[in-house]
Amino acid sequence: MAASVAKSRSLPGLLAQAALVVLVLALPLALDPNGYALFVATQLGVFVIAAIGLNLLAGYAGQVSLGHGAFIAIGAYATALLTVDHGWSFWLAALAGVVLSALMGVLMALPSFRLSTWYFAFITLAFAQVFEKMIVEWRGLTKGFAGVVGVQPPSVFGHVLDPAGVYWLVAVIAIIGFWLVNNLIRSRFGRGFVAVRDAPAAAQAAGASPARLKMLAFVIAACFAGVAGAFFAVQKTVVTPDDFTAEFSIFFLLTVVLGGLGTRWGPVVGALVFFLVPELLTGLESWRMMVYGAALLALMLFAPHGLVGAARSLFDRLRPKQTEPAAQPAETVPPEAAHVERPAISGLALEVKDLRKSFGGVVALGGVDLSVRPGTCAAIVGPNGSGKTTLLNVVGAYYRRDAGQVLLGGRETKGLSPQQIAGEGLGRTFQTPRLLGELTVLDNVLLGAYRRERASLAGTMLRLPAAASETARLRAEAMELLAFVGVADRADDLASETPHGHQRLVEIARALMGGARLIMLDEPAAGLSMTELDRLEQLIRRILALGATVVIVEHHLDLVASIASHVTVLDRGVVLASGAPQAVFADATVMAAYMGERALNEQAPGQAADDAATGDVSRPRPAPVEGA
Amino acid sequence: MDIDILARGLVAGSLYALVAVSFNILYRPTNVFNFAQGELVMLGAMVFASLATVLGWPWYAALIVTLLGVGLLTLLIDVVAVAPVLARSQHGTGWVITTLAASLIIANGVNRIWGPDPIVVRPPAPLTTDTFSLAGMTVSAYQIFLVLLTIVLVLAIEQVYRTRQGKAVLAVAEDREAALLRGVNPLRLSHWSFFLGGAFAGLTGVLAAPVLYASTGLGPALLLKGFAAAAVGSIGNNRGALIAGYLIGVTEALGASLLSPGYQEAVVFLLVLCVLLIWPHGLFGRPFARTV
Repeated sequence: MAASVAKSRSLPGLLAQAALVVLVLALPLALDPNGYALFVATQLGVFVIAAIGLNLLAGYAGQVSLGHGAFIAIGAYATALLTVDHGWSFWLAALAGVVLSALMGVLMALPSFRLSTWYFAFITLAFAQVFEKMIVEWRGLTKGFAGVVGVQPPSVFGHVLDPAGVYWLVAVIAIIGFWLVNNLIRSRFGRGFVAVRDAPAAAQAAGASPARLKMLAFVIAACFAGVAGAFFAVQKTVVTPDDFTAEFSIFFLLTVVLGGLGTRWGPVVGALVFFLVPELLTGLESWRMMVYGAALLALMLFAPHGLVGAARSLFDRLRPKQTEPAAQPAETVPPEAAHVERPAISGLALEVKDLRKSFGGVVALGGVDLSVRPGTCAAIVGPNGSGKTTLLNVVGAYYRRDAGQVLLGGRETKGLSPQQIAGEGLGRTFQTPRLLGELTVLDNVLLGAYRRERASLAGTMLRLPAAASETARLRAEAMELLAFVGVADRADDLASETPHGHQRLVEIARALMGGARLIMLDEPAAGLSMTELDRLEQLIRRILALGATVVIVEHHLDLVASIASHVTVLDRGVVLASGAPQAVFADATVMAAYMGERALNEQAPGQAADDAATGDVSRPRPAPVEGA
Repeated sequence: MDIDILARGLVAGSLYALVAVSFNILYRPTNVFNFAQGELVMLGAMVFASLATVLGWPWYAALIVTLLGVGLLTLLIDVVAVAPVLARSQHGTGWVITTLAASLIIANGVNRIWGPDPIVVRPPAPLTTDTFSLAGMTVSAYQIFLVLLTIVLVLAIEQVYRTRQGKAVLAVAEDREAALLRGVNPLRLSHWSFFLGGAFAGLTGVLAAPVLYASTGLGPALLLKGFAAAAVGSIGNNRGALIAGYLIGVTEALGASLLSPGYQEAVVFLLVLCVLLIWPHGLFGRPFARTV
């Protein structure tokens, strides 16, 4: 139902798009060259340009700008003032407008990027509100209510463009903009944007910086707004404060929501529909904001992916159901699963010394030591709330440590961000899988390669050959990894529609895709069936066989006993015991802490390890009880 | 420059703090920052003004009806516009857009009913808006009352959070699922928070009416400045909001007297940007740790 980032391009689809381009470009031939229809068509093009940018920002990157009209206003005022008052050429003035719009955007966005999404929404809303007042107040610059009059159309090779020429220019720019943004959405940046929106922690685990991605989306959106503003000024020839009220921003938001947030055609469809509707709304002028509000509300509730999303789900429902793969049980193991050769991985060592972390008065980690040799599997077990996941989060820098050392491959990681540590070769999975539900399984694996891709932003947007061949190479590798973990048959399914057990495997493939040399698995066996558990165990063995280091947090002690060469038991944030699995599980104190006294009367997990030498278990001082 | 700026700043700042507190009441258990809050304050002022001034009801009756009415409307926003979106995905941009939509609907609806003319509201009997001179400042009894009442309200609400119910609210903010396991129903708590946050917004409107007059245009400015106070004072921190409210009120009054009244909002906005740039979580710390 929702947009897949990478859609295979079918021939009919390409033909339809080519036909649409021809139709758009041929339109002025059918219209009165000085008529109202051409005026409206040009305006539609201007709004499509702005909407494409806003859709990238709000729809894909999930950062709702409630003041987008202000950024269009910057482009429009810059172009109008520089051409009319200072005699600049349109092109230079427009460029200045775009740069100014982007700069203002960065300034506006900087403080909010470290905070929740809604801060950004609020700051843009406030900015638009302030800006609206300022263009009236700052008469010296903006000429107040009178506005800037007499903006001239641009000239190309010495010819001043007529209305049809302006239309063509706008149409070509809109088409190119659409193409550029679509290339971007299909790329690692697109996957990064969706990750920032749906699962920021997954973005970080893949080595992508959410703050940088948000900034990128915002700068691109502001640039599009600046371009739209420049043509807005040209097309209307007059720029006044009345054009840029709060209503104007809401209008753009509604355009994008109506077409479909996070869909490729959403901004185009939304703008098109919106241009047909105002004719109907003229009688309801004073009710306009109510209508806008009701429409926004209804769309978000009943059609969160707008008209495009609704059309797509209708289409999916009407299409005759082909051989449903879900009919077969989800657990069947594809025969080829085990036979994928992968290059060897040189595992990273992990050394944790006296690691401490408290939340308020609660001590989550009270001085934990852990040592994992390269290429081995270390398990961390312990009752709920003993600090296992906190340990992973501190090692991965998702939480800042209070004190202690974390050495990854012998290097201290202090001061590195989660995405930088991911770049050092630390991969991870999450307790509840953090997959991007609206992307395909294959795209989710490709997200893992975020940091490995070398293609530049420009190369990606322009689809230069180097970028395209890199994409093809990584795609092949991602398919191979999906086969390696045994879910290759699901590559094109949406991640949200794959069974839970598969989602865990996809997360492991994503970590491997990122070139992880140490993989932290957070309760990978939770919720798996017996068959799936077997597959997981085999997979971990094969990853170990390649040479990678594995750190596993797990409650399933049979699994731990069978694959781990070293077990650490945490209890209330301190190491209760550590050593070889047989020895640790034979230790009475460990079992008491883990399973309660009653467990002592039953058998220990794994082998009946009564005879294992308890002397092997190193037990540090008793746990200090804190924060209770 | 005169000392009147201080008086004006404190009075306006108290109102901004009250708006910020109404944000916080709603935000703490739900993590939703209601974009309709500004219009709810405006609605409170309008309803109270109509009942008390136009219809001549006694002030306490008008107050009760206003609080209930605005509270119930906010509850309706939760049921219709927020809960369904949150049920679909916990994080996400949905509620930003739906609460904004609610704000547009309320603003337009109220404007249709009442029209643009402001209504003058007189404070109840012993209090007046007649000004007198106090330590060189021109103030009214009502303004002094407003500043003092705001302090009392902020302190009282902080006390509420120390009770069992209050702690349950904070527990849900920390971890919705864990609170559920302990027998706290987050949905019911969320409904209550919306009701109380809305009622408090209504109260803010009632208190603002004698100072600002009741007018349908109050919403956007109060939304912006309430947000400013909440963000500068650290979201969720009511005492922080009070101090930040004063800071913003005084800054705004200074900006208005030094530059021009038209630049008021720009000055406040710049202040907020600068503070957030240096202290992203506001001046008064970071009350809640985010979890991965």
